[in-house]
Amino acid sequence: MSGKSKLAKVGDWLDERTGFRALLGHALDEPVRGGARYAYVFGSVLTVGFAMQVATGLGLMTGYSPSTQTAWSSVHWLSTQMAGGWLVRGLHHFGASAVVIVLGLHLLQTALFGAYKKPRELNWLLGLGLFGVTLGFALTGYLLPWDQKGYWATKVATNIAGTIPGIGPRLQALALGGSDYSSLTLTRFYALHVGVLPLTALFLFGAHIALFRKHGVTPPASADLKKRDSFFPKQLGKDVVAAAIFVAAVFYLAYRSHGAPLDAPADPASEYPARPEWYFLSLFELLKYLHGPLELLGTVGLPTIAGAYLAALPFVDKKPGAPLTARLKFLAPLAVGAVGAVGLTLSAQSKDARDKSFQEARVKADAEAARAHALAARGIGPEGPLAMMKNDPEARGAALFGKHCASCHVLAGLGSPKDASAPALDGWGTEAWVVGLLDDPDHEARFGKTPFKGMMPSMTRCKPGDAACKPMSPDDVKAVASFLASQAGEPVTDAARARAGESIAKTRCTACHLFRGEGDDGGEGTAPELAAWGSIPWIRAQIDDPSSRATYREKALTHGAEVKGGPKPMPKLGGQIAPADVDLLARWVHAKARGQKL
Amino acid sequence: MSEDPKASRRSLLGGLVGVGACALGAAVAAPVVVFVAAPAGASPKSGERFVRTVPLDSLAVGKPVLVNLVGKDTDAWTTHPAIELGSAWLVRTGPREVRALSSTCPHLGCAVQRDGDGFTCPCHTSAFGVDGKRKEGPAPRDLDELAVRIDDGVVAVDFKRFRIGVAEKVQVG
Repeated sequence: MSGKSKLAKVGDWLDERTGFRALLGHALDEPVRGGARYAYVFGSVLTVGFAMQVATGLGLMTGYSPSTQTAWSSVHWLSTQMAGGWLVRGLHHFGASAVVIVLGLHLLQTALFGAYKKPRELNWLLGLGLFGVTLGFALTGYLLPWDQKGYWATKVATNIAGTIPGIGPRLQALALGGSDYSSLTLTRFYALHVGVLPLTALFLFGAHIALFRKHGVTPPASADLKKRDSFFPKQLGKDVVAAAIFVAAVFYLAYRSHGAPLDAPADPASEYPARPEWYFLSLFELLKYLHGPLELLGTVGLPTIAGAYLAALPFVDKKPGAPLTARLKFLAPLAVGAVGAVGLTLSAQSKDARDKSFQEARVKADAEAARAHALAARGIGPEGPLAMMKNDPEARGAALFGKHCASCHVLAGLGSPKDASAPALDGWGTEAWVVGLLDDPDHEARFGKTPFKGMMPSMTRCKPGDAACKPMSPDDVKAVASFLASQAGEPVTDAARARAGESIAKTRCTACHLFRGEGDDGGEGTAPELAAWGSIPWIRAQIDDPSSRATYREKALTHGAEVKGGPKPMPKLGGQIAPADVDLLARWVHAKARGQKL
Repeated sequence: MSEDPKASRRSLLGGLVGVGACALGAAVAAPVVVFVAAPAGASPKSGERFVRTVPLDSLAVGKPVLVNLVGKDTDAWTTHPAIELGSAWLVRTGPREVRALSSTCPHLGCAVQRDGDGFTCPCHTSAFGVDGKRKEGPAPRDLDELAVRIDDGVVAVDFKRFRIGVAEKVQVG
């Protein structure tokens, strides 16, 4: 054997043609003056962070579709249907926050070590540029899911841009692609987020690394400058440890929340308690205090001043080798700014925690988000997720009930029990309801306030002096209740009892009620059909026309109607509500009577 | 200064190459810039856009009700026959009079919500009276009033949007 492995031979072949060994050596053998340190890890961690954002971002691009009709649906789809989609989106979401934190640490380390001094001024500026680009990534990325949170927070941000004197309105129109939010806003933010900003970041990043390699690290004054480690393996080893902690933290956060949050679809007609991402909360809080002309100070002035001061730092804090104590006067404004930002952030959070109406709005928004996810799981139509929300059978059913039924009936908190002139429908159709009915039909939550008051006698108590009255035994009451509840679609727990109830009902109740169209009430024409009573088809028929004999019969529309100022019988709503809505309303009433969701 | 014809030819050539490269870059960049900047120069929508909301009878005097304004709208390449444009607070002020206030806070564009006998913005705590007049907070003007018309018993509201964050009420759409 020649003593060389096959791999080494392949390496030789490649090196002869590319010179990769020299390149690699240049990258890895770079001397670290004063020795490797954990203080130097942040740049490498950020490199890993950006790489992670690029990888997960490219993955997300394969499942995302930027338009107002599809953005939310595609994000919901990729995070619930695509294998590992929740994890990829979670990593991208928490990775963004983690990058902002490490960026802050990197900046802090550079400032404390005075690593921006001559000849590294330009590299400091490139770093600040990368900071700006990162915030741009955050701002544009927040909108892309087109959910309530991103929509309203970004709306505030772009409205702020619109208030800049002179160029504001044009700048805003340029960002939005028009005078208001539209699909063009999404395509523009998308183009910025996945094209313009990454290319800018790559350019700045390349220059940043190149200048860093040219000038090397800035060791602290206490360092032994004779000590030299090579980048590989000593510094790289520390970098990998830090990067591993970073990646593990991001994985943990993504795993803990099972991905990233997705609020309800963006709805321009809704009320929403908008809040920006946590790193913009201090600016958000500031805007509560700065009114009128001062407002521009908070939105544009202070961030510009902060940026300008950071950019000016290498040009004011120049003295080489000055100890930290001598440089404190230059770093003090940064500390003041940082303390102010932390204070404002805490203030914003504690105010929100104590603000009852904000908390209520947040609970409502979370309920809507949960509902959106439940509906989306059944499928989103081509008209998009907002239409899906508007056609939510829960909301639509409640609206229909509120419009057509709630002036007489109460159900699920709709309608006023005081003004109700028809039976309360909570629990209607269940065994417990029938048990109550058989005991006291004229209770005011049942027929006591209707024209049908007094039509049905109590089955358990006899009127004084009624010799023919045979009260039902408690067992019979239970049996009849069990049978009627089964007609209404309740699950039968005891089949024998329900059958017993059926035979009692057929013998005793048909003296007035109909059962499968048969029964006699001596020409009264008011007692309803018991077969399928309380079921969805029964409710549907009742809404359509109470006098069809499918539910109530001949005199259902007229009984008691002639009494002036008295309660009126239920009207025929068939012509007033579209058939599809009648169907929906029937299902809604049936579900709500049982406290269920549609 | 003695002229070296070779050097001057060289600098002329260099200048020409520079100008040519810039022209080439501009030729490629110009259409892109025009394309991207086009929406910024588009004139805002104007004119009326009355949208029917709720029956007048459903409004009690002095009690604000939030209504969605649903109408025709064009979103880039899609025309929606009926889509949520925004929302407005309706306050009945008399037998046939209704005041409509845009729910968009004139401060930075969040939607205002009901609070006590007026409205507040959940974002930066601006507060307005039930008449839309600014009471406190950073909002630069009152809530924007929208034109109202009663169409056979139904309240119709003219949907408009105004510039956010400035003291004057300037229509933008």
